[in-house]
Amino acid sequence: MEVVLTPRITPAGPLGLEAYRVAGGYTSLEAAFDLKPDGVIDVVEAAQLRGRGGAGFPCGLKWRLRGSDAPKPRYLICNLDESEPGTFKDRVLLYGDPHQLVESMIIAAYALQVQRAFIFVRGEYAQGASGLTTAIAEAEHAGLLGDNIAGSGFDLRLEVHVSAGRYICGEESALVNALEGRRPNPRPRMPRISAQGLWGQPTTVNNVETLVNVPHILRNGAEWFRNLGIHGGTGPKLYGISGKVDRPCLVERSMGSTARELIYEHAGGPQAQRQIIGFMPGGASTPFLGPDQLDVVMDFEAVAQAGSRLGTGAIIVLDDLSCPVAVVLNLMQFFARESCGFCTPCRDGLPYAAQILSDIVAGRGHVGDLLLLEELCEKIAPYSFCAFAPGATMPLQSSLRVFRDHFEQHLAEGGCPYANRGQRP
Amino acid sequence: MTAFEIDARQVPFNNGDNILKAALNAGVEIPHFCYHHALGSLGACRLCAVEVKPEQPEQRPRVVMACMEPARAGLKVSVAAPAALRARQGVIEFLMTNHPHDCPVCDEGGECHLQDMTVACGPPYRRYRGRKRTFINQDLGPLVHHEMNRCITCYRCTRYYQQYALGTDLGAMRLRNEVYFGRFQDGPLESPFAGNLVEVCPTGVFTDKVFRSRFARVWDLDTAPSICPHCSVGCNTLPGARLGTLRRVRNRDHAELNRWFLCDRGRFGHQYTEHPERPWQARVRGQTVNYSDALGAALDQLQRAGAAVAGVGSPREDLESNALLQRLIIRHGGFFAAFTDPGIEAATAHAVRYINRMGTPTLAAMEHADAILVAGELTAVAPMMDLGVRQASRNKAKVGVIHHVADPLATLADYDIRLAPRQTSVALKRLQGMIATTAEQSSGDEHGLAQLAATLMHAQHPLLIGVVETLGAYGVAALAKLAQSLGGQAALAYALPGPNAYGAAIVNEDGATQKVLEAVETGKVRCLVVTAADPLGDTRTGWRWREAVGRLDSLIVMDCVDSATVRAADILIPTAAWAERSGYFINYEGRVQCFDRVFERDKPLPASVAVIADLANALDLGAGEPRVAIADLLPGIALPLAGEPGIRLTPRVRLDVPPPIESVAGATGHWQVGLASWYGDDPLADHAAALSSLAPASTATIAPDTARIAELATDARVMLRGPAGSLPLPLCIDANVAEDTVALPRSAMCQIGVGHGGYVELEAMP
Ligand SMILES: Cc1cc2nc3c(=O)[nH]c(=O)nc-3n(C[C@H](O)[C@H](O)[C@H](O)COP(=O)(O)O)c2cc1C
Ligand code: SF4
Ligand code: SF4
Ligand code: SF4
Ligand code: FES
Repeated sequence: MEVVLTPRITPAGPLGLEAYRVAGGYTSLEAAFDLKPDGVIDVVEAAQLRGRGGAGFPCGLKWRLRGSDAPKPRYLICNLDESEPGTFKDRVLLYGDPHQLVESMIIAAYALQVQRAFIFVRGEYAQGASGLTTAIAEAEHAGLLGDNIAGSGFDLRLEVHVSAGRYICGEESALVNALEGRRPNPRPRMPRISAQGLWGQPTTVNNVETLVNVPHILRNGAEWFRNLGIHGGTGPKLYGISGKVDRPCLVERSMGSTARELIYEHAGGPQAQRQIIGFMPGGASTPFLGPDQLDVVMDFEAVAQAGSRLGTGAIIVLDDLSCPVAVVLNLMQFFARESCGFCTPCRDGLPYAAQILSDIVAGRGHVGDLLLLEELCEKIAPYSFCAFAPGATMPLQSSLRVFRDHFEQHLAEGGCPYANRGQRP
Repeated sequence: MTAFEIDARQVPFNNGDNILKAALNAGVEIPHFCYHHALGSLGACRLCAVEVKPEQPEQRPRVVMACMEPARAGLKVSVAAPAALRARQGVIEFLMTNHPHDCPVCDEGGECHLQDMTVACGPPYRRYRGRKRTFINQDLGPLVHHEMNRCITCYRCTRYYQQYALGTDLGAMRLRNEVYFGRFQDGPLESPFAGNLVEVCPTGVFTDKVFRSRFARVWDLDTAPSICPHCSVGCNTLPGARLGTLRRVRNRDHAELNRWFLCDRGRFGHQYTEHPERPWQARVRGQTVNYSDALGAALDQLQRAGAAVAGVGSPREDLESNALLQRLIIRHGGFFAAFTDPGIEAATAHAVRYINRMGTPTLAAMEHADAILVAGELTAVAPMMDLGVRQASRNKAKVGVIHHVADPLATLADYDIRLAPRQTSVALKRLQGMIATTAEQSSGDEHGLAQLAATLMHAQHPLLIGVVETLGAYGVAALAKLAQSLGGQAALAYALPGPNAYGAAIVNEDGATQKVLEAVETGKVRCLVVTAADPLGDTRTGWRWREAVGRLDSLIVMDCVDSATVRAADILIPTAAWAERSGYFINYEGRVQCFDRVFERDKPLPASVAVIADLANALDLGAGEPRVAIADLLPGIALPLAGEPGIRLTPRVRLDVPPPIESVAGATGHWQVGLASWYGDDPLADHAAALSSLAPASTATIAPDTARIAELATDARVMLRGPAGSLPLPLCIDANVAEDTVALPRSAMCQIGVGHGGYVELEAMP
């Protein structure tokens, strides 16, 4: 597949404005201004670009539903909070090609007729944020941002906000609260942030990877974009492969590539003499799949059919030296720590589950603990306030299925068999 | 009104209601923690899970949060459904993983919402094996105790404190299962409404520290419906006593007044009933005597004095005592006044007449105003009115405050107008002029008055609130005229000086206070009977009373707190505090409310009305039946019982308002005095140990510019001189004080003999 999003990203560092222009950058602006805002949305819709932040919501539809008559001011926010363990795609886009992001923001803002847009950057990516700030200054200087951009009559102010931290800030309504200077608790589903978001005004939140596709769609057309995908997917996708593989990596491949191709061809497969016992297809909050599911097509519907979620497309691989119970404990401790503390099932239920898991790993498990863990998941996920807790319980719930024998072995042997063998990961 | 169904019961609802709100209003219980009527829905605790039956056959039942789900006609809801119960049990079990199982030693026990919900929902077992998370508690000052381990993270406290009461020094910190509710660092809570945390918190995190210092199990408390005796709002309360002592005061819902809340003066002021200096023993000329001897001595003095008697009632005395004392004294041929300061009398009388003529809003109605002018330091005088103004402000009302010293409400105001005391009436007249002649608005204006006038004019529901004590009669009249100039939709309210100031005003004859004071000063009175008043401790007139009582043969005093007047009494008859007797107060709205006796002491003191009745009966004056005295005063009114919402007086006959009198004597100094008051400042609450420990230091406070012009340094001490003497005080410089004004606490004003708006000399001390 033609590499679209990442060809300009090299170890030499990001391209400056001039070099980015030489490489064809900022040429989509003219196309956008010709198409007019509704025309841009039409093309994005025709390209069938789906959100890359995890939920896969169609981007063009999101923009259309906001409504061209939404009250002003309206805001656009690029979600660059990337905190899902195993996920490192947005970071590469930020550090490697900030001008591509600036160009994308201008076009998205134009399509949505937004005059003030924000890029919400994960706190640990402060250095990337400073590169982005430099790129914005260059663009402003060149008249690509500010008043009357390139003579189009369109004005845009673009601001970078470096997050104060926490995973939950990536959830879009918590992000809006964080940006307003409030506690990063998610907001109720209603009113939607597309109607009443930042400072009560219509707000559109998109993931970085979603946005950076847009200039390429405008340059090359919707059909070209759709054809980049395979097995029913559309466009390119950044897949990260990490965990117990030979060469952990990030690759840009066709949406719809299989997990086997990604793991074996790009990440070198498992380390020598090791067997894959399972993997998470889309980051730490997606259900585990077993080795029999390696041929799953890595697109939204296909992964869902296989019983998991495409999430961020960040594959995490476990081999036969990784204790899945310990991995799940680690994840649950992460999620218990990252809970925003707003609702009871998540705030107090996740540490409860983590406590049971740590008992099991330490050999203090009780008969019935697996049933208890299942019960806890059933009492946490459906009744929590936001999607964090369902995401947090999915790895646990699925591991009780996929790795059942490992759990039972822990209970039967009074602790972690890997630890007993001195080989615990 | 449309309805939906909860477990086969029809529940009516209003548009915009959620399931939980409609259910609670209809008396249908749905377990909940984070929802609170005053604070609304949050959706955080997840306890209010209910099952909604499918509307289409192919759908499955859904479990939803009742507080987040809009009520709709035809909805079929089940609280009892197994799926909903299971969800609720999950929530309770999760909360209990961290909650200490210490109900037997927890102050909240017996009135704990968590306890109730845990018993109501289950689960009946405990299976969590891990450690509980623990916190370090904070010292939040003398009123509210902090025990964070009991927190269930319902966010009620911060929502109440920050969003409802607009306080800033308490909030939520940190994340995950370590969310901490407290202050940035230890220190007394700053909000005058902090005590409500005790009731808002569904568990034992925030508890009543005063109650705690003398604790009783809540089921052992004697309670009765009562009315707060600390200001003219007349909030409804539920005091609790045990073994003959009063232990605490809690809110009692009144739909039109305080609803869920009280101010800290109302909640913690009751400690005056336990003050060590409280008069317990009757005294005749320094000798401790029993009640009948004291009564005999008083009778003797009254008989000897003949018609040369006078009586002084009080705005903090109940209606029947005022009425009965007036009857007794008048029938005896003497003079009676229900006030001690002619200026306060005139101001109160005017306010009451204007309220009679123009009507006045309930506390609940104040929240719907869209533009409010407050003339005076409202927080210090009628705290719950301030909380009402805060609600209106949250509902986007524009608020203007005319004040002379630092004022909590002014810091929130859209128009913060600082004026020396005597300029207030001038400003009110000017506002009225601006409204009458729109032309005036264009002229230059340094105080933002023109903008305020425009805001009031364009409002749908403007509300004017005046503090009677500092406005004086002129200011009271100016505010009423301003309201009249705004037309029919303008609402007018006055914070009156005392829980029964309205009642005192209708018992009192115009000009009576001046007459009584002059009669005592000129020796026309031989015997003076005072009930629940402290004329000798007055700011403006105290020094005159102090000189005048020297000419009496006897000063007979009845009171339940210590005071200058009590100490000067020839015959002292200690009386029951409000919770130790029953009685009637008339609040700022003209609402007659009854308070019940809550408890009896081991050695009960007589109610003042009983003492007066004993005197009247012994004198054979036929004035002895309190109910008759009230019935004569309020003809045709069926008096309400305790616990009832009270009866609002309809306009009375005496409606013509005489022109206000200039109530302050001429200038003798260069510095205008402004009363520096605070929310704990009232004659009773002054004796409440915990609350009064928060009183601001006694200083002479002036504005920075004024200090510069007068060449006074920050750390100076100043000498103040007034008609009654001089007093050294430390100087304090504060930008919230009006220029050319020196703000003084009540006690200092009393010592030098100057009232609010009076003048003193001030000089730096070497
Ligand atoms: C707990 C949680 C964390 C999330 N974190 C991120 C994140 O770090 N980055 C992101 O783009 N979206 C994140 N999301 C998804 C966003 O809420 C939102 O759906 C997304 O930014 C929309 O962009 P898209 O439509 O372009 O995918 C998160 C969602 C949840 C529930
Ligand atoms: S599910 Fe977790 S992250 Fe989401 S609101 Fe509840 S506590 Fe916060
Ligand atoms: S302190 Fe009380 S009111 Fe505040 S969150 Fe905890 S339980 Fe709720
Ligand atoms: S506002 Fe007045 S009546 Fe109400 S509680 Fe406070 S002091 Fe008592
Ligand atoms: S009362 Fe509904 S979630 Fe708390």
